[in-house]
Amino acid sequence: MLTGLAVIGVARFLQQRQDYENATARSYQREIQARDRLGRGEHAAAARAAVIGQQRRRTELRDEISSETRDTALLVGAGLIAGLTGAALLFTGLIASMRRPLEDLVEASGQLAGGDLDARVKIGGLSETATLGTAFNEMAGELQRRAGERDQLERMKDEFVLTASHELRSPLTSVQGFAELLLLEREKLSPKQAETVEVILDNTRHLVRLLNDLLDLARSDAGRLTIRPVPTDAAGLIEEAVRTMRAQFDARRQTLALKLETELPEIEADRDRIRQVLVNLLTNANEYCPEGANIGVKARHLDAEVEIDVIDDGPGIPEQQLAHIFERFTRGDAGETQRVGGTGLGLAISKSLVELHGGRIVAESTPGVGSTFCIRLPATATDRGEAI
Amino acid sequence: MARILVADDSETILLLLRTRLEMEGYEVETAADGQEVVDQVSAATPPDVLLLDAMMPRKSGIDALRELRAAGIETPALIVSAHTEGGNGAEHEGLGIDGYITKPIDFDRLFARIAELTGPGPAS
Repeated sequence: MLTGLAVIGVARFLQQRQDYENATARSYQREIQARDRLGRGEHAAAARAAVIGQQRRRTELRDEISSETRDTALLVGAGLIAGLTGAALLFTGLIASMRRPLEDLVEASGQLAGGDLDARVKIGGLSETATLGTAFNEMAGELQRRAGERDQLERMKDEFVLTASHELRSPLTSVQGFAELLLLEREKLSPKQAETVEVILDNTRHLVRLLNDLLDLARSDAGRLTIRPVPTDAAGLIEEAVRTMRAQFDARRQTLALKLETELPEIEADRDRIRQVLVNLLTNANEYCPEGANIGVKARHLDAEVEIDVIDDGPGIPEQQLAHIFERFTRGDAGETQRVGGTGLGLAISKSLVELHGGRIVAESTPGVGSTFCIRLPATATDRGEAI
Repeated sequence: MARILVADDSETILLLLRTRLEMEGYEVETAADGQEVVDQVSAATPPDVLLLDAMMPRKSGIDALRELRAAGIETPALIVSAHTEGGNGAEHEGLGIDGYITKPIDFDRLFARIAELTGPGPAS
């Protein structure tokens, strides 16, 4: 209302100015017409009178207009003040009626972002906030529906991988078993045949490894990768893993040096799983390092943890690759992967397993110098007590 | 000569196990499911070791073992499983399972375990 008044005031002021301009233009036109009528040089008095009259009329008009302008300015000022006061009052009211619904929306958005898909707002207040609230609730409902579908798909995928790897295991058992059977009678095979059977066996073992890794990852994704940690002799476990791998290192004329701190405490470990992690790290070092490389395994007691390092002086890992090294299907250079028989899943699984133990695994590398994979696992509580 | 009853629903796996075990000098009997295991064990002198696939149609190796144990048959038993993880803990509790063998079978490990169960040298 008040704002409207102010607008009218401004409009009137503009109209006055227009009138003044028009009047000035008309008076000049009349003067020129008068001069034409009287002729050049004649009736100068009449012309002068006409000009004087013209000037007087102009002065009167100016006075009239300036008083009008004053009125208009006053009107505009009053209008503006009234308008602003009104607007301020209006805003206070608006803010008060929007505040609650908006606060509710902010809170619900936070809940939604935090993963609470049940978050909804109460619809009410101004029609604008009510519309916003309805839109929010519809969005939240849609998100919830899609999340439900996605969860179901995830479950189906997990089930599929678990079932598929289970079903694949039987035929693989036969292939591997019969190939081994053939090699038991190697003397009856020609060298070419024996070599062929070895290729079959190598590939079968690779398939089994891939299958085991996929199964572990599917279990991990489904939250079903479980460990049974018990107090475990860290040194014994490391030595066991190194023993398993010794032949592969010898085959590539690589040195494998073991440097374990004396009196390492026991660690809380699922023996099979931590051996799997260590064998995985050693296999990577063995396969990615060139012949003649030096690989070391170090272990030491650090506070409440045992740190195990697998260090090599191999080609190293480029920085960009290092950042993603624990992600599944991240592997060394394409040229290398042709030669190296890994699955690209080993480090992802190792990370899952170490973290399930409450430990950490990190990788450091300098291209051209070598790589270090460092695992930290919690020491068994009693040993920790003794150590302190 | 120690007798081993091997049960698996795959004929190929049965053939593989029979061949390898006979090469090691064991006497091998086979069954295609858990029901055959129960029938064969109940009908004659129980074998020295049971080597049972965990999952078989009609009756699983676990269910067959449960029935045999209920009937008082204490024959040592090894469970062959496609699962890489061991037993199902509580579910297999009290069944007197002497070990789990995962597929694909590590025959050296299998022979070592059987030798432990049948005592030093093949029993006669």
